[in-house]
Amino acid sequence: MVTPTVWMYIAYLIISVGLTIWVARTLHANGRIFLVDSFLGNEKLADSVNHLLVVGFYLINIGYVTLALKYGGKSEDLQQVFETLSSKVGFVLLVLGVMHFMNLLIFSKMRKRAMLRNQPPPLPPQAHLAVKTA
Amino acid sequence: MKTLYILYDAQCGFCSHCRRWLEQQPGFLDLRFLPRDSPEIECRFPGFVRSQYPEELVVISDEGGIYWGAHAWVMVLYALVEYREWAVRLARPALLPLARKVCELISKKRRDLSSLLGMENDATLAAEIRRNHEC
Repeated sequence: MVTPTVWMYIAYLIISVGLTIWVARTLHANGRIFLVDSFLGNEKLADSVNHLLVVGFYLINIGYVTLALKYGGKSEDLQQVFETLSSKVGFVLLVLGVMHFMNLLIFSKMRKRAMLRNQPPPLPPQAHLAVKTA
Repeated sequence: MKTLYILYDAQCGFCSHCRRWLEQQPGFLDLRFLPRDSPEIECRFPGFVRSQYPEELVVISDEGGIYWGAHAWVMVLYALVEYREWAVRLARPALLPLARKVCELISKKRRDLSSLLGMENDATLAAEIRRNHEC
């Protein structure tokens, strides 16, 4: 028999996995430009890293969603179903938010590192010398 | 720019300590250290006249740019992966005079600082190794 709790689980899985897919797709689509810039226009490498980041994102989030499924108590009536569902989805959203900002942090760190690598010397030479190349 | 030649005072323990530390840091540029009395300097940079530059630290890039004082310190930091950001920050007009003052102070007091901190200099260590080798 399908109890209210089972209905709640089904709704929880659909909402949580749906949200995870939506956030991952957003990251994948909008993070690409950051990564292409970080990898000095190397689109293949950027796409590869982008894909790997999204895989990691899916693994952590769906892992959390499945692990957290049974926590939250039993739901006897519709009101309890909504309350439990709401708090469970709320936690998933928070985890997604933290993961999203972690990804942004990684993107911006990579970009900063790439920009520093290409940074010209901050000061001009104070004198010049003819150099014998070794 | 790929390489920086760092002409340092091998008689100074603090400078020698800095050299050892710099060698362990990951760098964007290749760092080559030459004691300022090394004959290699004349060979590599024929037009370089030692007496025209301060004795504590001179940086020469593989493109022939010469830097000394605070500018040399900034260039050394610029070569390092972890400190390039600091080099850019210190090179700004607001911070460069401060960097210059600190460098002048350290440069002037480098021998005192070395003996205070008990830092061995490269020249003494090299002499010691040579002496032990002879025995």
